Amino acid sequence: MDRRAFISQFPMAVGVTGFCSLPFAIARLLAPGVAEASESRIPLPGALAPHSDFINACIGCGVCAEVCPPRCIRFHMNDGGKEANTPYIDPAERGCILCGLCMKVCPTEALTVTPIRKVKMGIAQIDQSACYPWVNISLCGACYNICPLGSAAIRPEVRSSNRTAVPVVQSGCVGCGLCVDICPEPSLPIKIVDYSLSTKKYTEKNSEKYKVKLEPEQVNSATGELKY
Amino acid sequence: MHRTWQRHLNKLRWLILSLVFCTLILLPFFHLYQTYLASHSYDLLLSKEKLVYDTMESLTAPFLSDPEKQLEALKGTTWSGTLFGLKLSDPLAIVSQASAAMKLYWPFILTAAIPVIFTVIFGRFFCGWICPATFVYELNDSLGAWLRKAGLPISQHRMDRRLKYLVLGIGAVLSAVTGAVLFAAIYPPAIIGREIYYAVAVGGFGGGTVFFLLTLLFDLMVSRRGFCRYLCPGGALYSLLGRYRVFRIQRDVTNCNDCAKCNVVCQFDLNPLRDGFGQECNNCTACIAVCPTDALRFELKVKDAANRGPGHLGQLYRKQQQKSEKLEVQNI
Repeated sequence: MDRRAFISQFPMAVGVTGFCSLPFAIARLLAPGVAEASESRIPLPGALAPHSDFINACIGCGVCAEVCPPRCIRFHMNDGGKEANTPYIDPAERGCILCGLCMKVCPTEALTVTPIRKVKMGIAQIDQSACYPWVNISLCGACYNICPLGSAAIRPEVRSSNRTAVPVVQSGCVGCGLCVDICPEPSLPIKIVDYSLSTKKYTEKNSEKYKVKLEPEQVNSATGELKY
Repeated sequence: MHRTWQRHLNKLRWLILSLVFCTLILLPFFHLYQTYLASHSYDLLLSKEKLVYDTMESLTAPFLSDPEKQLEALKGTTWSGTLFGLKLSDPLAIVSQASAAMKLYWPFILTAAIPVIFTVIFGRFFCGWICPATFVYELNDSLGAWLRKAGLPISQHRMDRRLKYLVLGIGAVLSAVTGAVLFAAIYPPAIIGREIYYAVAVGGFGGGTVFFLLTLLFDLMVSRRGFCRYLCPGGALYSLLGRYRVFRIQRDVTNCNDCAKCNVVCQFDLNPLRDGFGQECNNCTACIAVCPTDALRFELKVKDAANRGPGHLGQLYRKQQQKSEKLEVQNI
């Protein structure tokens, strides 16, 4: 291709590449409901650590969603931009069950096979002004009963200020979002927040502050669990 | 005269294309069926979901004993997927991912080994034989022919075929600059499988559907099969890989009668009549199927033959012969 042909065709090629972003705008106009996902978007289990690296590696093939048994994986379908066609999980709609199939099936390094206790999707934060046991409304316990990681991630603790045992997130939480999914309170008091931001701020400091010294007869000596 | 079996390849190709397309439509439903099976809760399903369950059960029950496990064998799309435990990816996925991440990840690159080997042997066969977009584009092309017959003025621009290499290059550079795999948004074989999954299992559709519809309009209104010919980055990559392919369609000049049906039927605007195949040929075999004298067939050759002039059964060749005979007579 000589220089003149290149110069004459270059604007057209640039136009074509610019044109490619237009469909996302049209799709958003035609199907606005799809774009309105909730704010609570978390990465997939085993996703590459900085989000930009994950976007680099993900080719948008969608195989992770095709193997997901609870069908919790959603896509940035018409958001356009860099994240177009990359997957995320919206725990407010459906949480991840940590089965690990998506990590196994991903062709790229975007999702690497990780043991489920080392997955870092985020960490749960409980809004204590809305959670039923924390505001002394009722005994609920849905979150710590559904948690796939058990007492390492979230467990009931007895506090002097509360009548019933309250759920407290532990440092073992990987942020799968099943507790968000199951929580009966409509305002969704549990949020999954970025792991790096919140680990120290919430779990360690706050739980130390609220920690109550347990009497030996309150704890089951064999299992280390609380007696009620 | 004993006619060559190769003229039936076009029918086989259409069979494969429609099979791939139907599979892409069925895969999301299979996934839904698997999730319903895993939840063991038929009674809790909505009537719509029950319909999906029943249909899929009637489809799979004769062939599979344990559909929940066995359907895992076939996952993904033509962009990247697993086939009986074997991961396969489009070479364009490798190029775009490598340029976006600026590093090579060998387990992923190896998933494209089989497609690349096949492309080196058979050339741009993916475009003609597997690509689900080709299925739609060729139907769209027939629609264009009907519209033209009905008298609608449909323009057929010709552009520079090398434009798609520019799209490939610019796309790779933009991927590297933005750090996102941009080809996934504009490459029809990637779009189709994904958007069918969106429509069936997630709900709604993404930007890919709109882009694909725009390319259909482009093919219909601006240029016949224009996207594949001039713009498709995957086609550009396959053309480059298949440049020195081993199997290629060649013209047997002694059998050719210059009817030019091959040039009319060629969707890629190549010139089979005068040996002009080049790296763009997608082995669709439409010219073999249409050739009345079996002058076109696959041959084991690494390079195209040069233009061998008019076919020996045609009028032009006869006139040339007569002229040269006259000249010879005069010279004597």
